[in-house]
Amino acid sequence: MLRPISLAAALMVSASALVAEEFRWAETTDPQTMDPHAVNSAAVLGFLNNVYEGLVRRGKDMTIEPALATAWEPIGAGEGWRFTLRQGVTFHDGSTFDAQDVLFSYQRASDEASDTRSWFAPVSEVKVVDDYTVDIMTTAPNPIFPDSIANWMMMDSGWAEANNAARPDKDNGNFATLNANGTGAFQLTTREPGLRTVLEPFGGWWDEAEHNITRAELTPIQNPATAVAALLSGDVDFINPVPIQDTARLAANDQVKVIQGIEARVIMLGFPHEAEALKYSGETTDANPFADARVRQAVAHAVNVPAVLQTIMRGNAEEVSQLVSPAMRGYSADLANRPAFDPEKARALLAEAGYPDGFSFGLKCPNDRYLNDESVCQAITGMLAQVGMRATLDAMPVQNYWPELRSDNYDMYLLGWSPGTFDAEHPVRFLASTPNEEKKLGSWNFGGFSNARVDELLPMIQSEIDDGKRQAMLDEVTKILQDEVAYVPLYVQPLVWGTQANIVLTQRPDNFFILRWVTVN
Amino acid sequence: MLAFVIRRVFQSVLVLLVVGLVAFSMFRFVGDPVDNMLGQERTQADIERLRSQLGLDQPFAVQYFKFLQGAAQGNFGVSYRQGRPVSDILMERAPATLELAAVSGFLAISIGIALGVFTAIRRNGFTANAIMSVSLIGVSLPTFLIGILLIYLFSVELGWLPSFGRGETVMIGGWSTGFLTESGLKALILPSITLGLYQMTLIMRLVRSEMLEVLRQDYIRFARARGLRERAVNFRHALKNTLVPVITVTGLQLGSIIAFAIITETVFQWPGVGLLFINAIQFVDIPVMAAYLMLISVMFVAINLIVDLLYFAIDPRLRVDRTAAH
Repeated sequence: MLRPISLAAALMVSASALVAEEFRWAETTDPQTMDPHAVNSAAVLGFLNNVYEGLVRRGKDMTIEPALATAWEPIGAGEGWRFTLRQGVTFHDGSTFDAQDVLFSYQRASDEASDTRSWFAPVSEVKVVDDYTVDIMTTAPNPIFPDSIANWMMMDSGWAEANNAARPDKDNGNFATLNANGTGAFQLTTREPGLRTVLEPFGGWWDEAEHNITRAELTPIQNPATAVAALLSGDVDFINPVPIQDTARLAANDQVKVIQGIEARVIMLGFPHEAEALKYSGETTDANPFADARVRQAVAHAVNVPAVLQTIMRGNAEEVSQLVSPAMRGYSADLANRPAFDPEKARALLAEAGYPDGFSFGLKCPNDRYLNDESVCQAITGMLAQVGMRATLDAMPVQNYWPELRSDNYDMYLLGWSPGTFDAEHPVRFLASTPNEEKKLGSWNFGGFSNARVDELLPMIQSEIDDGKRQAMLDEVTKILQDEVAYVPLYVQPLVWGTQANIVLTQRPDNFFILRWVTVN
Repeated sequence: MLAFVIRRVFQSVLVLLVVGLVAFSMFRFVGDPVDNMLGQERTQADIERLRSQLGLDQPFAVQYFKFLQGAAQGNFGVSYRQGRPVSDILMERAPATLELAAVSGFLAISIGIALGVFTAIRRNGFTANAIMSVSLIGVSLPTFLIGILLIYLFSVELGWLPSFGRGETVMIGGWSTGFLTESGLKALILPSITLGLYQMTLIMRLVRSEMLEVLRQDYIRFARARGLRERAVNFRHALKNTLVPVITVTGLQLGSIIAFAIITETVFQWPGVGLLFINAIQFVDIPVMAAYLMLISVMFVAINLIVDLLYFAIDPRLRVDRTAAH
């Protein structure tokens, strides 16, 4: 009994002398797998960005920069993209990165069993030209293809095949679920799911290291109060997120820092455009007022977004007028004003639409998906009641919420959308296109909003190479969605991180925590 | 005796089957796991394919039957979230919970009995009354609040103890123990107090009232009259006779300590099965939820059985009664 204690104590003493730059951080969710192609979730891709790399990567300002490819250019008149690969890159196990690995990673990431498949829907073929040149052919010209593959990570074909992990296996797991072999700045040394995941710097990394970390350990901490206590007591160096209600208290403490920014996620209200009648109304059981654009306009004017942000978000969020935040590519800068808070106008619009006394309806809301989502819905319920729209709020956990929305059980709902490609085309494809299972369009357009011009513009936007023309079309779509009030965009969700005072790091709007930008002073 | 055991085992199996049935009929209301398993870019076809692949499109009775089939062969399925066999995950997490439960159970029993005896003997003393008043806190404050208070006092303000986790662990043949390292032992202190406080006060109050009852009995008076020393009277005669109800309650509470470690484990991010269960609920990880609920019910049933058998051992009257009745 005694010996292991003293041994461990001795180890700890020597360890604490060595690891001056040990960095410990806590997040709410543990990445569920170490396989970069199995699951398409921010928790997994965000973490694995430290271990694996793509052909391109995003810089501190979200712009695309060279990573494993040094250059790329369109082929011909937009038949595809040619990527020139970086030479002298090695994986963590020492094997060399070349074009075969790109082809393999394409096959693996676009496999039936992979969640990242949809990224490659525009791709018709991947051709290896030589050891360090790859052509990725697309079915139609695709100007934003390099932007859309920043999270497509390269895996070594030899390593995957030797370990029987040539295809991702989400259901039963395989070697790549618990192990990793990327080209990134850090290599995975310990993986205990749900307990801790340890990263150490990779000596053979091709790029110049900016960080001074010698070892980094991730622990998931679900309970926000525990995470805050862990930060305050110095047990961890970084937590994400900081609960909104604790920001002021932490900011007042000299030992820690609060880092705030805005996330890519836009929070909005959605409507049942196609429904014949309201589902949860006491009196309006034979009509659907929300089918009338004037009623939706009334909603936009009735919600006092600045007040919501001031009180519930403690001033940490920004209002928004469209489905993407200003930080995204393709944002329509000329359409930046959201409808003003004007209850009089809202009442007038309702009267004009034939509801002078308003109506009652059901508002569905998640209570554990977005920051303070239920409180926001409560506030909105009160504001709508001021103009006669009497909502009954039904808030529920997110795993019950999506099935409700899919079965059209709502009269109005709250939705947050973060564009995976960081481009304004993304929400048009998922939220504003007429739902079409075959073409994989409008898969999150629960209300079935449909506009012929939007449907016509989308493929043109997707294949337009000229930036000016593309932006003009995106502006037109944004204008239509605003005029029609397809959704009522409310605000961009805030991002609040907490660190010890001696940590310097960079916060990116996609909420990815990039370890290679961390400095411990 | 043997017939009794067989009957109890038979009843226990029935209880387990019913627990499983109720659990499976409830899973539908926990939500739909497919949204968590598929990304943002899923289509309706993906959702349906996954649902049928997981068997979620079948009635719950069929799902339950399939689970039983697997469970009978020791196969609890694969976790939806981690993509690994549930039995592996449970084996990894069990030591954390069992060590925590053992330490809190030990604290609860030893301190509970000691304080119970003390407050019974010094019924009117100031200290005894103070202990009784303070013990009200243990009974009435919710566990998570006690946990948070302890963290703020001992981790944030004083900085003596870690605020979360298990510290360093040592692997001894598949069993990860925190008993052998300094940080592991330190990490045990706050969670085990949090978890055991309710049971400790409960046992203390129980021992006290039982003891007061016994001390009034004639044989105690005779023992005193015989000139036995106070120590012998209190501990050999009085305490021994208070232990029968205490064992029942303690046995059942031991089950609760493990089952309700969920809250303590969440507050302290203690990597045990309770935390695993909470994660599983959030993710609608049905195989993990099912296996956990079944394990907990097996444990409760087993503890009840053991407690019943202990009666035979402790109280000779029960043995006589049983044989006389049959």
